[in-house]
Amino acid sequence: MRARRLVRSALATCAALALTTQALAQFPNIGGLIKGAQNAKKLSDSFRKISEPEEMKLGGDLAGIILGVAPLVKDGAKQRYINWVGRWLALHSERPDLPWKFGIVNTADVNAFSMPGGYILITRGMVDKMRSESELAGVLAHEIAHVVHRHHLAALQQSLRNSALTGFGDYIQSGSAVGSVVKTAIINAGKDIFTHGLNKNDEFEADRMGVVIAARSGYSPFGLVGVLQTLSAAPDDKGFALMNKTHPLPVERIDRLDRAMGTQMDALAVADVSVPTFAQPRLVIDPKPTALHKHGKHKS
Amino acid sequence: MRRSRKLALFTLLLLRAVGAEAADKGQIIRAGDLLAQPFIDAAHAGKVAPAEQVTVVERRGAWANVQVAGKSGWVRLLNIRLEPTAGLAGPAKRQPVRPNGLTSLLQTGSSGRTVTTGVKGMDEEDIRNATTNYVELALLETLGVEASDARANAVQNNLKERRVDYLDKKGSK
Repeated sequence: MRARRLVRSALATCAALALTTQALAQFPNIGGLIKGAQNAKKLSDSFRKISEPEEMKLGGDLAGIILGVAPLVKDGAKQRYINWVGRWLALHSERPDLPWKFGIVNTADVNAFSMPGGYILITRGMVDKMRSESELAGVLAHEIAHVVHRHHLAALQQSLRNSALTGFGDYIQSGSAVGSVVKTAIINAGKDIFTHGLNKNDEFEADRMGVVIAARSGYSPFGLVGVLQTLSAAPDDKGFALMNKTHPLPVERIDRLDRAMGTQMDALAVADVSVPTFAQPRLVIDPKPTALHKHGKHKS
Repeated sequence: MRRSRKLALFTLLLLRAVGAEAADKGQIIRAGDLLAQPFIDAAHAGKVAPAEQVTVVERRGAWANVQVAGKSGWVRLLNIRLEPTAGLAGPAKRQPVRPNGLTSLLQTGSSGRTVTTGVKGMDEEDIRNATTNYVELALLETLGVEASDARANAVQNNLKERRVDYLDKKGSK
């Protein structure tokens, strides 16, 4: 047992070192060790078929990155509101039973993120830009679509395709040296996705699916269009920089949606409802959250 | 009673004033018709040309009421691109950098970025340097709501479920 653990540790260390040619020069036997590990599934292939608990573990670690930059807004009423809206939308997707978790993170920058397993984070700055609950629904539904389509898993697979690492099982079980090495590789790949974005076609696909999820849930399908217009108006604003860098041009997204929607969704437009005043995070967090629990009341 | 009416009237006027302030400036993406009503077969009120400047007065579903070249009418919302700096009015609008005073106290790091609350921004460098925060993750794990609660909230807010088919992949190159 102990010997097996030692072999695993040696393999992990060697596989990590094998990423550089310098390491290969210094340790000529690494190639042989990796060859010995070839029976184990490559890390990138591990994302092809993944169980729900594995997906949640992965998503939690990736959500932790965003939370490491911006913590959650400490206001139960706002977080509950975003979860009610988000969960309602998710119920109209193909993965209604995932344990969906939505959170508003405390940064003025405008962005939203989704992670495998049903984690969705939206920034305070983005919530602040919403003209209506339909717009908020459009953003959340777009992120839900990424989870439904498992876009991040495909991106992780792509990102780690050249990695010699194995040991996804060790990562899931945690605690071992191999698991730790694999986790570092996954976290770094996650950072790549958050800073470079998903495949462009995945974004267009999430747009198309998002408007339908919103419409199925009783919202105007044109909410997302309004958000894309807001984004199109801020090409150089620093608060939008990462969002703009990681997504196709908003005008291109509007154009694609226009062609896909045509006029077939016109009849599904409904009167927009404003985001409740309490849910729009302000400069000063209300010190009395209990006074904000009138969740059902929308401003007119 | 009279007092509450006055208050309601004041609120209405305030909301209208806010609505007027929120009018977006934009431009037309594609040539098309300016319509008298927000319907596809409504009477024509003129033409719109690509890059023509518009002011969005109102949004209604798939349509936007616009003022364009002295005329007023409806165009499809999807045919409008908002102009930079337009539509950014709101509480999260960033403050200009000021070297002294209160704003400088809110400045983060040496990047020259300012924030409205003293909270850090979220750029590429921030994410690259991020350490996973498991305390916040544990908090996030507690935030999920039951499907039944989400449904009850939707019913309370009069959201009506509808059958809608997914869209075809039109427009992909």
